[in-house]
Amino acid sequence: MVKIVFKFFIIISCYLIFRGLVAEPLLDGADFDYGEYLSGQCLTCHQNSSDEGIPAINGAEAIYIAKKLILYKNKELENEVMQLVAGALDQEQIASLAIYFNSLEK
Amino acid sequence: MNNLSRRSFVSFALASTSLLAMPAISTGSARPKVVVVGGGAGGATAARYIAKDSKGAIDVTLIEASKHYYTCFYSNLYLGGFRDYDSIGHSYDNLSANHGVNVVHDWAISVDPSARKVRLGSGATVSYDRLVLSPGIDIKYDSIDGYSVEAQTKMPHAWKSGTQVKVLRDQVLNMPKGGTFAMVPPPNPYRCPPGPYERISMVAHILKEKNPTAKIVVIDPKNKFSKQGLFMAGWEKHYPGMVEWIDNDTHGGIKNVNPETMEIETDLDTFKADVACVVPAQRAGAIAMNAGVTDGDWSPIVPASMQTKADGNIYVLGDASVASAMPKSGFSANSQAKVAANHIRGELTDSRVFPAKFSNTCWSLVATNDGIKVGANYKAGEEKIEVVDKFVSKTDEGNAKRKKTYEESIGWYNGITTDMFS
Repeated sequence: MVKIVFKFFIIISCYLIFRGLVAEPLLDGADFDYGEYLSGQCLTCHQNSSDEGIPAINGAEAIYIAKKLILYKNKELENEVMQLVAGALDQEQIASLAIYFNSLEK
Repeated sequence: MNNLSRRSFVSFALASTSLLAMPAISTGSARPKVVVVGGGAGGATAARYIAKDSKGAIDVTLIEASKHYYTCFYSNLYLGGFRDYDSIGHSYDNLSANHGVNVVHDWAISVDPSARKVRLGSGATVSYDRLVLSPGIDIKYDSIDGYSVEAQTKMPHAWKSGTQVKVLRDQVLNMPKGGTFAMVPPPNPYRCPPGPYERISMVAHILKEKNPTAKIVVIDPKNKFSKQGLFMAGWEKHYPGMVEWIDNDTHGGIKNVNPETMEIETDLDTFKADVACVVPAQRAGAIAMNAGVTDGDWSPIVPASMQTKADGNIYVLGDASVASAMPKSGFSANSQAKVAANHIRGELTDSRVFPAKFSNTCWSLVATNDGIKVGANYKAGEEKIEVVDKFVSKTDEGNAKRKKTYEESIGWYNGITTDMFS
């Protein structure tokens, strides 16, 4: 149930951001080039070629990526590698990664 | 071969016949030139990222002797029977086809830093604006008395993946019933710190099934090792009584090995083995030595860029570099390659250069579905690469977590090899 509510929230948020009706502070300061550079750290593990063991994240909604990274940063989601990676990211870096991965083809 | 690389090939061929008469060799382009030596986790990644991200603005040549690259990471899983040999082999075809990298299968023999040229085994030379050396390790055969190039078939080091690992697997599978497998890990610093201990786990995995009365003796030149508590707890859990680890203080030092009698002599005792994996000390690949960018056995680098301290036009990645807190691993090399690629593009095409960010995780398999990991992220300090934060698996985490860690390592293997070769 929580998952469904969360997904619904994400979909509505994405729609509103897309329509420009709500500014999304989590994506403030996003810098595409910076995101491309930072993505190198993610791409050692995350690839579109396979979902086995590690999820493919290309084309995911930017707000979804940003929120996930914040949950890992705050250690509210488990996985030592992700907690480490996200723990070293500031808000601008998270926003940049989010819009970069969102731009990639699924 | 695309048109550009066909022209390049002709240039190389011509160059090889008229080197002295024609010191400036064109690779068929006025674009800035990057030459990458070594097609492993550092070199293949650097070549791919520079070519991909510069979108053709930089002429990238990758020099790698092997047509097929067998990864060192996961070679232990092949040894243990968890992977097919073919599954750890990769081709360079996509680097040419997808990113226009000129892949030249040859040895880089020497570097002339003042003329900015690399001489190849064929006799041809190739010029560069920036040179990336990622040659991995060379084995110091003379670091153990009695060991030699000839000895490596009887006592394989199997520390560069490929056929040596096949030889070692055959030897383990054909070991006499109740025989002894001896492992001599290398002294620090060396490629893949947890590697010798994952190897012991994989050999134990085979022996438990096929030769359960066999023994494993580890004659270590060190007194401690990576993920020690996790490995030792795993050996006791999965292979009770099979593995005996003897530290340097206990055996007093390895005096010599004898591949004819299969003996390993220490101050304490002489150990007789049926199969022995002997991994000597290591140093940077020879081309880094030749380029004059090493200090002792390894190449000091500028942490913010991976440029060598000796020559700003030459970058050294991975095992061959002094990366301070970062271990010599494929993951580290891949991470360093992206920092170097970003810096090189900035220098040659004025693209934006971002602050260096490094990371590493080493997964190891102890037994079926029992994966462990250690990882850290790093920043560029003034003099050294420094740890920001780190983690290591816990001895008391449950079986489900260990299984997930192993599955994660499969994802990482697929990820990093795609990041290198696609």
